[in-house]
Amino acid sequence: MEKSFVINLFGLNFDMVGIIGSTLMAAAVLFICIWLSRKVELRPNKRQNVMEYLLDFTNGIVKDNVEDVDAQKHLSLYAFTLFLFIWFMNQLGMFLEIRVDEFMIIKSPTADPVATMTFAMMTLLLSFTFGVQKFGVGGYLRNYSAPVGFLLPINVIEEFTNFLTLSLRLYGNIYAGEVLLTLIGNRLATSYGLPTMILAAPLAMIWQGFSVFIGSIQAYVFVTLSMVYIGKKVTKE
Amino acid sequence: MEFQTLFAASHHIYIGNAIWYLVVFAILMLLVKHYAWGPVSDMMEKRRQKVIEDLDSAADNRKKAEVLANEREAALKNSRQEATQILSDAKANAQKTSDKIVADANADASSIRKQAEEDAKRAKAEALDDARGQVADISVAIAEKVIAKNLSAEDQKDLVDQFIKGLND
Repeated sequence: MEKSFVINLFGLNFDMVGIIGSTLMAAAVLFICIWLSRKVELRPNKRQNVMEYLLDFTNGIVKDNVEDVDAQKHLSLYAFTLFLFIWFMNQLGMFLEIRVDEFMIIKSPTADPVATMTFAMMTLLLSFTFGVQKFGVGGYLRNYSAPVGFLLPINVIEEFTNFLTLSLRLYGNIYAGEVLLTLIGNRLATSYGLPTMILAAPLAMIWQGFSVFIGSIQAYVFVTLSMVYIGKKVTKE
Repeated sequence: MEFQTLFAASHHIYIGNAIWYLVVFAILMLLVKHYAWGPVSDMMEKRRQKVIEDLDSAADNRKKAEVLANEREAALKNSRQEATQILSDAKANAQKTSDKIVADANADASSIRKQAEEDAKRAKAEALDDARGQVADISVAIAEKVIAKNLSAEDQKDLVDQFIKGLND
């Protein structure tokens, strides 16, 4: 069984795997963003083009799912940062998994439900904020019984299911990817010596490539669904 | 129960991690906004504005050029018309002048001819008159000399008249 460093600070448990991974990836996102937009010009250079393509991509996600123009402007930065951050965290475990003895040091932070639930909760709270800002507290609460009153319990339950599906979809995909990668690398490769090791190498490669794909798709899906949930709160049904 | 299996890998719900993620995300968002997202989206907006402006000014310029071309064409047409007008005026003037000159010359010539005819007629009449007087005198003198004194001057004149009539016929 894998164990992780857990530090207890101020009565709170800190799991070092998630903390190291997320901090590293945040630094990577920041570094790449700064590197890509070091010289911002009216006539874009190559790096700026990459940056603008990314920005256009996330802005496209926002515009497709949020109809409110004012909310679109505020969500652009959120979607951009969230997408890059989650994408990097998804990819981290694909190429780097460090274990010292029994202790995990580095793996995807998003392979941990706490991380995905944090981001899902953030989105949920943000959607509440946008809803309240747009319609006021009364109007926001009234929207739960829209379009018809008897849908009220379903709409309330939907908040929880949205939260759970949003977080657990991401967690499940990345966690499963890492489990399979660990199985191929640790169990299959070492089971019968050299032949299985040779067999495991291309399998691991294929699965890693597929995991990169899954990680990208999941980052896209996470941001898209976040925008769908927020967009639903700022449009009158 | 479900949550226990869900968190089997981590044994605990790490609230500390959740706070850490939020803080890291917030800081990341602020820094990305300041260093990357802000400048790049500003520039994109600026470029969008510039493209709009350029398109507008291009449309404006095209309209202006169209107006200018129309004006020039009209001016060209005008000047061509003027030129033909001038040419036809000149032609008409020249025709008129030449007609006048010819008519003048004709009139002069006919008046000169008339004058000449009149002169000739008068000269002829004068000459005839002169000749008539002289012939009569001479013939009287001759007849006096030839017939001596029998013939009166009046008879003589009748005779000469008849003679001259004969000459005239």
